[in-house]
Amino acid sequence: MDNWEDMKIVAEQWSKQGIEFVQQIPPPQLYAAIAVLLLATIWLFSVRLFRRTKSNTVLLSGLSGSGKTMLFYQLRDGSSHQGAVTSMEPNEGTFVLHYENIKKGKVRPVHLVDVPGHSRLRSKLEEYLPRAAAIVFVVDALEFLPNIRAVSEYLYDILTNASVVKNKVPVLLCCNKTDKITAHTKEFIRKQMEKEIEKLRGSRSAVSTADITNDFTLGIEGEVFSFSHCHNKVTVAEASGLTGEIDQVQAFIREHVKP
Amino acid sequence: MLEQLLIFTRGGLILWTCKEIGNALKGSPIDTLIRSCLLEERSGAVSFNYDAPGAAYTLKWTFHNDLGLVFVAVYQRILHLLYVDDLLSMVKQSFSEVYDPKRMAYNDFDETFRQLRMEAEARAEELRKTKQVGKPVTGSVKKQGQVLKAGLEGGNKRVGEGGTKKDDGDGIKGKVSNLTNGHSNENHKMGDDSQEADRANGKENTSSNVAVDISKLQKLRSKGVRGRGGVRKADSIGNKSSKVAAAEPAKKATKKNRVWDDAAPKQSKLDFTDSVDDNGNNDHVEVVAADQGESMMDKEEVFSSDSESDDDDDDEPGSDEKPAEAKKKGWFSSVFQSITGKANLEKTDLGPALKALKERLMTKNVAEEIAEKLCESVEASLEGKKLSSFTRISSTVQAAMEDALVRILTPRRSIDILRDVHASKEQRKPYVVVFVGVNGVGKSTNLAKVAYWLQQHKVSVMMAACDTFRSGAVEQLRTHARRLQIPIFEKGYEKDPAVVAKEAIQEATRNGSDVVLVDTAGRMQDNEPLMRALSKLINLNQPDLVLFVGEALVGNDAVDQLSKFNQKLSDLSTSGNPRLIDGILLTKFDTIDDKVGAALSMVYISGSPVMFVGCGQSYTDLKKLNVKAIVKTLLK
Repeated sequence: MDNWEDMKIVAEQWSKQGIEFVQQIPPPQLYAAIAVLLLATIWLFSVRLFRRTKSNTVLLSGLSGSGKTMLFYQLRDGSSHQGAVTSMEPNEGTFVLHYENIKKGKVRPVHLVDVPGHSRLRSKLEEYLPRAAAIVFVVDALEFLPNIRAVSEYLYDILTNASVVKNKVPVLLCCNKTDKITAHTKEFIRKQMEKEIEKLRGSRSAVSTADITNDFTLGIEGEVFSFSHCHNKVTVAEASGLTGEIDQVQAFIREHVKP
Repeated sequence: MLEQLLIFTRGGLILWTCKEIGNALKGSPIDTLIRSCLLEERSGAVSFNYDAPGAAYTLKWTFHNDLGLVFVAVYQRILHLLYVDDLLSMVKQSFSEVYDPKRMAYNDFDETFRQLRMEAEARAEELRKTKQVGKPVTGSVKKQGQVLKAGLEGGNKRVGEGGTKKDDGDGIKGKVSNLTNGHSNENHKMGDDSQEADRANGKENTSSNVAVDISKLQKLRSKGVRGRGGVRKADSIGNKSSKVAAAEPAKKATKKNRVWDDAAPKQSKLDFTDSVDDNGNNDHVEVVAADQGESMMDKEEVFSSDSESDDDDDDEPGSDEKPAEAKKKGWFSSVFQSITGKANLEKTDLGPALKALKERLMTKNVAEEIAEKLCESVEASLEGKKLSSFTRISSTVQAAMEDALVRILTPRRSIDILRDVHASKEQRKPYVVVFVGVNGVGKSTNLAKVAYWLQQHKVSVMMAACDTFRSGAVEQLRTHARRLQIPIFEKGYEKDPAVVAKEAIQEATRNGSDVVLVDTAGRMQDNEPLMRALSKLINLNQPDLVLFVGEALVGNDAVDQLSKFNQKLSDLSTSGNPRLIDGILLTKFDTIDDKVGAALSMVYISGSPVMFVGCGQSYTDLKKLNVKAIVKTLLK
């Protein structure tokens, strides 16, 4: 215990010396130093707050088999490599879009997330929605009509999600696989989706609120649903993950993740 | 020959396929494998069979959990390739050395793969040659087991002989069976066994004619009895077959009244159905206004969030079960590992944690084989993964299991019945729901609950009384219908349920009902004629929803019930696309406190979601399944 007491004595001496030193500084300098410290901390905090408001996360969602993983790799590398199978986990990456590699100047990297579309993995989407700056909803234009119910239910769930409504997240309805001849046009798909969502609106609001976990309802009461009724912007585009025609998607992403 | 070997990431990107074997795969076996096996938590299984028009494949797979890679081999089912497992593990090893997350193309791996394949094939050839030499040895060992079993069953004497008829045993075996037959007729058996031993020796030496003659005699004698004896031996575990045998001839003739020995001599038929027509107003039953409040389907589920401390408290008693010395070593190294976080998870590390988890699941009434399969699947997904720092193995395993459970219990497709009803309404045909299940699970009661709930949502319902066997079934439904004021279609007793259902649906189309709820008689899953009748009902009427009603009290039998129901429905179906069970209605949920495992067993084995949960005996006691609450209760 002698060590303890020795150390205590040394510490006391040091603190005494420190206090004396501080008291020796003339008051204005002291105040100036404290003020600078305070300003610096305030400035750091505010910068951090400002930076946080604009996220750069873009979500790729859609049914299983619609081509999200292919799109992801097209956006990242410019080629879809050797193809893809049903994803079991999300694909994430923060990178500069491939076509912008050529451009010069500072381009802000995009945090792209490809969420699996399988219904058992639907809960993963909920994790990413709060941080999303934009959502690309990929629809298979080839096999559209057989899956139309599932597609519209998924889109309805996204559009009525609390974070999406509060943050007014813009949604791009991307019709994929348009390189095939029998693929539907984006206008057709848009109209069909609006009709289906109208039906969903009817049946979902018929049940009481505890039945379905939708936080909000879509559209205006009494009018047929149309995408223009949504508070967040919903646009439609065409793309082909296989051949690499993804200009509209890239433009959308760039528009909402500002450098 | 291998059809294809693929390497892809868990995120879905294909990294490498074998280009030598250029065959394109018919259908989409890989996607089907992922959807119906790997995502369904059956990744502990050995292989997966896939049928496409024009091809029948078997798929085998392995994971590299650390790097997040999946290796899948596809080959024709008719070829039993032995080297596939070997090849997969070798490929895994060599690829993980080459793997780089940034690289997307691995063309140089072709060469490595070719060498590996030739190695594996050569090794398999050698094994096959050695196996052919050693076959007789292994064959006799297997049959020894049969002899012992025959002896232990202590059934028909002739059965025992019949069983050993095919044996090429040696004298030692005879002596062993001598010892086991100590209980039954010793003298008799002794004599037979010595004969057996003689016969066996005789066969080996291929000499004494006496032994052969006796064996022939025994063969002749046993052949006559083989039919009955064989069947009885197979079903000696349960006595169901005798019942079936008795029921079969009875069913073939017309249905006779069951006559008990000490029954009153003469009794007129016990049919007290009041002679009332469909719109009959029987004043005995008062029409209770069907407004018993909101059905619990529409109420918010309020469940308390238990504190985290409960989990830790439960961990302590669990770990005490492990042997003391292993615990000391294990604890220190696990603490060390949890801080550094660098260890790769091995099977031996996961073993005790998974075992404890399996025990816990089984105490919560999860069927044993389901718990086993789940643990295997979780093991397959965690093996080789790196432990993140400051986590114990048990918590990693717990998190993985929780993830798996949520994934299984989340429905694969939307279970919005009201939406389906609306869709059917647009097509102007009624939405038909058939309630099937074993005896006494609560079909009729829950049918009434579902009718009440649908009525509350302004859907017009009609009941069809297709339980024409149980006394009072039609009256029961009639009473419910009167209380709820919904039409009921009934044809009395001893009519063909399939025809009654068909007519009920026609009636519903005529009077514009939206939903038809069809009640059927309870039946055991092994009862062949009754299952045939059920599949006839389903084939004839093509319902929109086949709802299996199962009680939450059931234990391991749930697996048997559901799998046999599905199997019978698919075997006995006439069309190419058999209708299987689409949904599950779990009943008597209020009687189990926290032993909620039956829900998990049923969902896992059938793949269909739980659509309703019955939690009481009044009209409002119908809920939706709360996945998070169940998972929490299961893992508590």
